[in-house]
Amino acid sequence: MAMVEHLPSVEAPDAIWEAIEAELRAPRPTRAPPVRSWRLAVAATALVALAGFATWRLAHPPGTWEVRRLEGSPAVGARSISGVGQVGIGEWIETDSGSRAMITIGKIGSVEVAPHTRLRVLATRPGEHRLALARGEIRATISAPPRLFFVDTPSGTAVDLGCEYALNTDEDGFGLLRVTKGWVSFQWNGLESLVPAGASCPTRPQIGPGLPYFDDAAGPMKEALARFGLEKVERRALDVILAESRVRDTLTLWHLLFRVDRSERARVYDRIAALTPIPVGVSREKALALDPETMTHWREELAWTW
Amino acid sequence: MWQVGLVTSAVATMALGQAFTFTIGSPVAAQDSRSKLAAFVFRIEGCAEPASAHVDGTAEGLVQGARTSVALKLMPMSKPGVYAVYPSWPAGGDWVVNLNGMCAGARAGALIPIGPGGFIRASSKFFPRPATAPEIDTALHTLSQGRHP
Repeated sequence: MAMVEHLPSVEAPDAIWEAIEAELRAPRPTRAPPVRSWRLAVAATALVALAGFATWRLAHPPGTWEVRRLEGSPAVGARSISGVGQVGIGEWIETDSGSRAMITIGKIGSVEVAPHTRLRVLATRPGEHRLALARGEIRATISAPPRLFFVDTPSGTAVDLGCEYALNTDEDGFGLLRVTKGWVSFQWNGLESLVPAGASCPTRPQIGPGLPYFDDAAGPMKEALARFGLEKVERRALDVILAESRVRDTLTLWHLLFRVDRSERARVYDRIAALTPIPVGVSREKALALDPETMTHWREELAWTW
Repeated sequence: MWQVGLVTSAVATMALGQAFTFTIGSPVAAQDSRSKLAAFVFRIEGCAEPASAHVDGTAEGLVQGARTSVALKLMPMSKPGVYAVYPSWPAGGDWVVNLNGMCAGARAGALIPIGPGGFIRASSKFFPRPATAPEIDTALHTLSQGRHP
């Protein structure tokens, strides 16, 4: 220590102070502690996820359904679909003679669009999925509680009750509903036809749903059904329907009760009674008066024979 | 009071007087959207308390000449005493659904052949007891030979 006290003092060169001041001004690189690195990783992952969601959302805007090209060049509005596109409320989907498409109906099913078809999306809400079929044919496969999927046509609305079906119509409203699984209610202006699997129902403009019939019904009966309501004398068609009907055709006969006047209604009632026992709780008087509770009960019992 | 008891007994007797049996139908008969994909539905009849009845079933099959059996899960529908039978047996071969039921000591059985178009109502058979093995074999043989309406 005594030797240090006797060392001479020397002035530091200016360059040293300049170097020190420069070092003090420069930003100091710091090493982040481990916990801050983890937060950064999480934030980065979240950002990537958000970016991915945003990209998906741009491709699938809310309130739209996916449309997939199956064949040819189906169109959504003015734009052709080459792979997968989106269709929103109010937009038209159209196929030409060489095109087919598949529409994913929200989370409840799908609709295959046949060639020469034009349809429009009317609603895409969780509680209401609705299309309007202007012309052509669609095949719907729906897996959902009943009354969530509807298809409007010029002659009525098909209400899904849990099913698969094909529905075609021309621009005038003439068409056919054919059910392959479950059952469908076809409604127009207070008129309703219940169509179970294995049955079909014609649709007509200004008349709505026709009489449903099983596809394996006798030929003469189906021919008579096609004429029913179009001839001046409907009695001949009714005679054939009653004569050719089987137990299973009580599907048709029950609906027929609502489409004839009282004098003919008694004939229809008697034919049903001849084919299958009238259930307890169904009286002839109330049935002929089309008492709603009676008719509903009768239909529920007849359904066990369809 | 005795009149009430008499009426109650009469009602119970009527319910039990009708033989305990099954009625089969296509899925629409269940009036339950869950039956949409069922092979068929059935309801029990002649049972005073349908909710207390016990039912079970198997799918009896003849696949490439070999007998096989698959236990079925019968799905209760919204209406008491109504069940759906789903096609849970393998594709291929010939199949007959064998139903068994018990209600207050009464027994019921049914054999329902399954064809390409679904259950074959006209060939279905109903018994006041479980179907026997020979009856099941006969139903399968008839189905495999194509001898049904």
